Amino acid sequence: MKNLFLFFGLLSIVLSVEAQNSSKTPLSRQDLLISHSGGQPDRNIAIREIPIWGRQPMKEIGMQQTKLDSTVLRDNLAFSVADVLTYNSSIFVKQYGRATLSTVSFRGTGPSHTQVLWNGMRINNPMLGMTDFSMIPAYFIDDASLLHGTSSVGETGGGLGGAVRLATRPVQADGWGVQYVQGIGMFKTFDEFLRLTWGNDHWQISTRAVYQSSDNDYKYRNRDKKELIYDDNHTIIGSYYPVERNKSGAFADLHLLQEVYYNTGRGDRLGLNAWYIRSNRELALLTTDYADNRKFDNRQREETFRGVLSWDHLRKTWKMSAKAGYIHTWMAYDYERDPGNGIMTSMTRSRSRVNTLFGDISGEYVVGDHWFFNVDVALHQHFVESIDKNIILQEGNRGVVGYDQGRVELDGVLSAKWRPTDRMGLSLVVREQMYGNRWVTVPAFFTDYVLSKRGNIVAKASISRNYRFPTLNDLYFLPGGNPDLKNESGFQYEAGLSFSIGTPKSYALSGSVSWYDQHIDDWILWLPTTKGFFSPVNVKKVHAYGVEAQANLEVALSKDWRFEMNGTFSWSPSINKGEPMSPADRSVGKQLPYEPEYSATTTGRLNYRSWGMLWQFCYYSERYTMSSNDISLAGQLPSYFMNNLTLEKGFSFRWADLSLKGSINNLFDEEYLSVLSRPMPGINFEIFIGIIPKWGKK
Amino acid sequence: MKRLIAYYWLVLLCTLFSGCMKWEYGREESFSFPATAEGLFITNEGNFQYGNATLSYYDPNARTIENEIFYRANAMKLGDVAQSMVIRDGVGWIVVNNSHVIFAIDITTFKEKGRIVDLTSPRYIHFISDEKAYVTQIWDNRIFIVNPKRFEIIGHIQCPNMSMEAGSTEQMVQYGKYVYVNCWSYQNRILKIDTETDTIVDELVVGIQPTSLVLDKNNKLWTLTDGGYNGSPYGYEAPSLYRIDAERFAVERQFKLNLGDKPSEVQLNGTGDKLYWINDDVWCMDVESEQLPNTPFLPYSNTLYYGLTINPHNGDVYVADAIDYQQQGRVYRYSQTGELIDDFYVGVIPGAFCWK
Repeated sequence: MKNLFLFFGLLSIVLSVEAQNSSKTPLSRQDLLISHSGGQPDRNIAIREIPIWGRQPMKEIGMQQTKLDSTVLRDNLAFSVADVLTYNSSIFVKQYGRATLSTVSFRGTGPSHTQVLWNGMRINNPMLGMTDFSMIPAYFIDDASLLHGTSSVGETGGGLGGAVRLATRPVQADGWGVQYVQGIGMFKTFDEFLRLTWGNDHWQISTRAVYQSSDNDYKYRNRDKKELIYDDNHTIIGSYYPVERNKSGAFADLHLLQEVYYNTGRGDRLGLNAWYIRSNRELALLTTDYADNRKFDNRQREETFRGVLSWDHLRKTWKMSAKAGYIHTWMAYDYERDPGNGIMTSMTRSRSRVNTLFGDISGEYVVGDHWFFNVDVALHQHFVESIDKNIILQEGNRGVVGYDQGRVELDGVLSAKWRPTDRMGLSLVVREQMYGNRWVTVPAFFTDYVLSKRGNIVAKASISRNYRFPTLNDLYFLPGGNPDLKNESGFQYEAGLSFSIGTPKSYALSGSVSWYDQHIDDWILWLPTTKGFFSPVNVKKVHAYGVEAQANLEVALSKDWRFEMNGTFSWSPSINKGEPMSPADRSVGKQLPYEPEYSATTTGRLNYRSWGMLWQFCYYSERYTMSSNDISLAGQLPSYFMNNLTLEKGFSFRWADLSLKGSINNLFDEEYLSVLSRPMPGINFEIFIGIIPKWGKK
Repeated sequence: MKRLIAYYWLVLLCTLFSGCMKWEYGREESFSFPATAEGLFITNEGNFQYGNATLSYYDPNARTIENEIFYRANAMKLGDVAQSMVIRDGVGWIVVNNSHVIFAIDITTFKEKGRIVDLTSPRYIHFISDEKAYVTQIWDNRIFIVNPKRFEIIGHIQCPNMSMEAGSTEQMVQYGKYVYVNCWSYQNRILKIDTETDTIVDELVVGIQPTSLVLDKNNKLWTLTDGGYNGSPYGYEAPSLYRIDAERFAVERQFKLNLGDKPSEVQLNGTGDKLYWINDDVWCMDVESEQLPNTPFLPYSNTLYYGLTINPHNGDVYVADAIDYQQQGRVYRYSQTGELIDDFYVGVIPGAFCWK
């Protein structure tokens, strides 16, 4: 706690002195390091526009979605999208450590029940079905939406829990622009962010680069093991819980994003997005590992390229779009040890290559004020080569254990939306999916109704049938892949209310609450076998139901003061309703392991002129590690609260806009775990310095 | 509105300071079970990479079970994947595979007495003397030689025709001065080690992936292969039970099972004249028999039999059901005639047993 006060004290002194010396000219750029108007001394404080009833986009009839704007996504530049979602949404983010595999799941479902789209292209790993959100820097995303449950059906299939839609946007630059941000944090953490932009009436070009590296060797008290104190006769005379470092957890990630947009000004837009990732991450030792980390190397590397070409043709009553994309992913996992000769020797050497071709054509057509039609056909062709192990065959020659498979995934959707009156909206979506030789039809129906014009109170309801196909690893992985797996199927319905009130330039208050109920059959689970490997089986029937609520308040307290608060809450029982696997099975009727029943987040922002303070909070209730929900000494994951605090200040000079920001993560230095035996860092600090040269502009 | 916001912050801050993650640490329980009395240790593997392996202790006479005894006695976790345990001179040696450690515990108090570290991926430990033991490994082509007295690694035995990546040595039994080891994962051999020179002096090819190894009263080695899996580049065949003459180190008899069977856990009773193994059902066969039994000792009844042991004192059969591998498994105790005597819950994935 002393460190905390010292840090803030120093930061405040520095900022105060700088503030006195700085010019009071308003900052000239919107795209500052400092979020929102926190760094912007604009005296005319803007309050988010209140939606006018009955004018909500017809595309969104009956939909339950959470939109994360660039303010939220830029709260902490060092954050991945996983971190952003942790503090700004009701969905569960399971983190295996800092800068380590992070998966998200909606409404008590699994990570592979979350579909992820980037600029319209599905980026779930076709081998694993899930997406590692720690590999998506928030700096690269300009617009994110969470489509909860049935709402994902209009966008993609397979999202039994929901879908995350990520997109980039043209920066709307006029001439050249540069932004550079340097972050320096504890554990030898260095975060570098660079963005170059150029634009005119027709062209918008942006290049973004992120390089993040860290030794990531934070200290923690390891209460899972004890150090022994021996006497000369090798008799134990004492023991203690050691303070250890997060051994072998270093990482170095490079991301490059190139965007080119061309707008004819006559209704045609062309876009190119190309994203390259090179990641090199050590996999940290478990708290229960007694290995000497200098003699072992456990490492995951990845190189991924994602590219999307897009064309939009807009007319007054219709729109047509086409996209073409390509994804290449190379992943390597190496587990090596030094057998004593100083040379690291491979114990496990896994390699996988995924190539995906993507194409999409869509059209939208509006008929009067009452009808809206949409058609979309998407194609993903995956080619996967997976090598899991190198062995010596019986004949003495070398062999590899792995598979080489491809799959065509065709996905067509037709939707009709009708608003017969100003108050009512109806939407029907029918999706047809073909994965390999499997076909399914996914229907969904949505409706909403304006109950009150005064408070913009809207009632929403929807129902859908949805499916998730087994992943390529589920079907073909060696050993264990099971080609006889059935598709998972879900039947879901939900209803909710939303409202929004406010006074222009004074305050805005909005919120929503929704109740959902879903039955998932043939849930795929990888289980050990007596042959020593895991194999997937359709074992569970799951009943997931609950309530999600969110609220947002923005207040202009005075001419200079502005306050904003967002909150989410989720109650998400996810109950095993399957048949007992044996007479001794105590899991039926119990919450699924690693799914919190309750979660909540809050974000508070307070801005005064060019100063800004941000506070982030999240809460997860206890997660069970056993399907029977028994709590053991060796398998407990208690609930935890997590808090971050950020103080920021913007400066405007003739030659550049500068910004300074200090972040404290895990404010109360809480010992916590997201996954068993994977310690998370205690209190830690990071400082960011950002600059936007003015390039001769006033 | 300002007042509302102030209240909000106040309530929130109070909540934060009042409710942080609740942990309970450091409490060590005292146990005192007589060293000479009958007792059964159960090593529960736990889930791979979760570090939730545990140790249970069952008193067959009192019919009582104590779970998580390692944690309760030592106030720390056992680790990740408890693979096996043996007892020598009142000390229990627990091999914790993915924690790269072997713990030594007092078998009456369950308190730790020491540990051997710096192992690659240990599976089983076999004592040659008070000052020498072998430790088999997976993902290593060496068998480690350790000094249990000083908890130190003192050497290695290099396995021929085995790479580090495909390295796998498993269970060990001793006949005279020779120790026999079955090589399991992507292997098909039994190795013969001279314990005086610590070298491999011979090897015997059996079927694909011999899972376990025992030595009966007639000095015959028995091993059970699992036959690999469909699509394996190493091969896929019908599993077999092999009877091997230890003296000649040659296969005497091969009992073929059906392609697709999943046999494991060959075990012997205390007198070494009856074999037991799991193949969905639990099977029992006289060591003198020349053919496989037609009916199982315990038929499959929706239980996922994962571990098996026979009480060396009275022949009771203990079989562990891992259920869904994500909850406490259950152990069933049967008499020699197959009557259920007792059952009790243990830890997650009960895989191996060790008799006092």
